[in-house]
Amino acid sequence: MAIDAAGRRGRHLAGLRNAIILIVLWELLGQLKLVAGGALPAPSAVLIRFWQDRGDYPLHLLATFEGAALGFFIGNVVAIAAGILFAVSPVAARLGRGLNVAIFALPPIAISPILVLTFSGMTPRIALAALGCYFVTMSATVTGITQTDRRMLDVVRAYGGGWVALLRLVEIRSALPAILSGLRVAAPAAVLGSVLAEFGGGGRYGLGVYLIGSLGRADPPRLWGIGLAATGMALLVYALFALIEARITHTTRAVTVAATPPGTPLAIGGFAGAALTLISAALPFAVWWGFLKMLGTPPMIAKTPLGVIDYLFFAQSAETAQLRLLSALAQTLPLTLLGMTAGLAFAFALALASVVRPGIVRSFMPVALVTQTMPLVALTPLLVLLLGRGPSVILWITVSVTFFPAFVTLAQGLGMVSRSALDVVRAYGANPFIQLRLVSIPASLPYLFAAMRLAVPRALLGVMIAEWLATGTGLGNLLNQSRGYLDYGMIWTVAVVSVLISILFYQIVIVVERRVLQRRGMQPAS
Amino acid sequence: MTTGTGIALKDVSRAFAARETVVQALDRVSLDCPAGSFTALIGPSGCGKSTMLRLALGLDAPSGGTISVAGQSPQAAAKAGLTGVAFQDAALMPWRSVEGNIALPLDVLGRKRSDYTGKIAGLIDLVGLKGFEKALPGELSGGMRQRVAIARALVTDPQVLFLDEPFGALDQILRRQMNVELQRIWMESRATTLLVTHGIDEAVFLADRVVVMQSRPGRIGKIIDIPLPRPRLPDVFTTEAFHALEDEITEALDGH
Ligand SMILES: Nc1ncnc2c1ncn2[C@@H]1O[C@H](COP(=O)(O)OP(=O)(O)OP(=O)(O)O)[C@@H](O)[C@H]1O
Ligand SMILES: [Mg+2]
Repeated sequence: MAIDAAGRRGRHLAGLRNAIILIVLWELLGQLKLVAGGALPAPSAVLIRFWQDRGDYPLHLLATFEGAALGFFIGNVVAIAAGILFAVSPVAARLGRGLNVAIFALPPIAISPILVLTFSGMTPRIALAALGCYFVTMSATVTGITQTDRRMLDVVRAYGGGWVALLRLVEIRSALPAILSGLRVAAPAAVLGSVLAEFGGGGRYGLGVYLIGSLGRADPPRLWGIGLAATGMALLVYALFALIEARITHTTRAVTVAATPPGTPLAIGGFAGAALTLISAALPFAVWWGFLKMLGTPPMIAKTPLGVIDYLFFAQSAETAQLRLLSALAQTLPLTLLGMTAGLAFAFALALASVVRPGIVRSFMPVALVTQTMPLVALTPLLVLLLGRGPSVILWITVSVTFFPAFVTLAQGLGMVSRSALDVVRAYGANPFIQLRLVSIPASLPYLFAAMRLAVPRALLGVMIAEWLATGTGLGNLLNQSRGYLDYGMIWTVAVVSVLISILFYQIVIVVERRVLQRRGMQPAS
Repeated sequence: MTTGTGIALKDVSRAFAARETVVQALDRVSLDCPAGSFTALIGPSGCGKSTMLRLALGLDAPSGGTISVAGQSPQAAAKAGLTGVAFQDAALMPWRSVEGNIALPLDVLGRKRSDYTGKIAGLIDLVGLKGFEKALPGELSGGMRQRVAIARALVTDPQVLFLDEPFGALDQILRRQMNVELQRIWMESRATTLLVTHGIDEAVFLADRVVVMQSRPGRIGKIIDIPLPRPRLPDVFTTEAFHALEDEITEALDGH
């Protein structure tokens, strides 16, 4: 016990020491304007600027917090309810799969202008924040409930308990740690959603509004201040739930972001199965349609699925629209793929290296975890400052947004490779590289695929944010431009196309994953 | 058909589809446990003892045959609160205290906990866990957890009691003590009891009848009556008659 505590204190001290070294180094770099001609301001400069701007912050912070908090609340309530439904009813899970994949793959930036068009006031922010939370919490709830110890369920069933009793007495309570870790991961997503909706316009206050307004003013310390404020907000909520979770489980669980919608295995074949799949795929479109009908937004502004098809293929301007869309895609897609591949490769290499030298994970994981709590938007302007507005910035942003979650997933996956499997090859004198080749790499395949599934929508989101904010190219720019021209057809088209592309990539990964893992007799990692 | 609180299995089969083959866990098993009787089920590992218990509890459905508990379907009997059960592994809820775990069946059946405070305290005393009322399962040893599970099985005053190796994790001395206690409880309540065990001595000490099972496919090999008078005291373990019965069971287990 005592040794344990001392060890922990030692590690905390080491962490503190590293943090101090990092800040001192950063201060030096900033003061001497060593990075990108002063684009990396010293922490002291950021603080001073923050103090000077202190009159601006409260209203912006409050506005973003309002959107994020309401969205967080609504999104998670819906997510937990949906998670319970999907866990209890496999048919519902199968039906909801299409909608779940769509929400998972949806790059929030793509629908932010649409939300701003169809709703007013705080609603777009709340909606986007809620959408950002939904998938994480929903899948955490499903996982938590389905992994409930069967023996405990048997005890309740043995006394005639039905599904309500099972949920009430066992499943929800045993899923609580999973749900809480879902909420923890959802916190930055909520802040990101709110800020992205602020990009889309509407409203004078919010960190996103502030960020866009300050972007043109070449004021690095202020941009860093805004980014850090957004990160701080996410970090606070993250820490709050980590604390509650630690209280409840006595152990904080690993942070991995789920990337599998529930409802894959269900032994309904034949006609009924096909019908379920079809309904599941049609459901997102039905929901889209139903929503617009319910809101009664004029068809000029709100395009139904048919409206989008009409705009892209049959309307007078269809040809120019197609051309603009294709040329944007030609810019966006190669960079997305390249960035994603590079990010994954880098993450995989580092995760493998950390097997040979476990010290790497220990020193790197905290950084990776902090960046996970950092809303993407906060990161982008900073990278723009550091790297300029050329295409390389897109690549770097994409690499960095895919790298961290992929690294966390892979490192934790590799950490779960059974000790005894490694011991067997070690007993025969295998060196670390043979261990990698024979055990770690094959065992980490499921996690590589999980990381890929996770990376797909994030890569597209990263590229589009960079294009919108920095380079003025590709889909992101097309979206931003169409917003300016009030070209509603194009706004909807870009949103739909980017979601479809994301889903397409995602499905390709799933198909390859099933093939590869099945051949090797492995199970997908969630 | 057994009347009262008996257990009746008629031609019960249960097959599990494994990857390539089909495992016949139970093959047309018929067993009648009259109301108020104590039956011990003994047999090699994997012969379908737990499967039989799960079927009688309504946790699993047979592939063929019928089961009735207290003249009703297993589910109906469970819903009516007639049954009690302790599983092979304690299956406690890690977030509930010892008291809370013992009270679980009450919560499932929708009974008021406050009517049972005395009962729960008595059971905790009975299984020797006084002072651990508020402890969480994670803070208990394996044997202590199993004793909580036994207390939980008894909290509803069940008329039909299912026990799946309830004393498996206890040391020999404690096990003997618990055997004596179980006999006492049973003689007071006269609940129809079905006990799965690996201990031949335990089976002989407690049961009116010992059912010896054989595996592949799971079936009943022999039913041996235990005519020893009750109450059986601990010194019965050393008697001639006791040893003779043990030998008979050992033989039956070997397939003679
Ligand atoms: N859910 C299941 N799926 C597939 N096979 C099962 C399942 N449950 C039990 N079996 C099989 O049925 C047979 C009987 O299992 P059961 O658990 O009833 O044995 P048991 O007699 O209780 O053994 P033990 O004394 O080891 O507890 C075994 O061969 C087992 O593999
Ligand atoms: Mg068993």
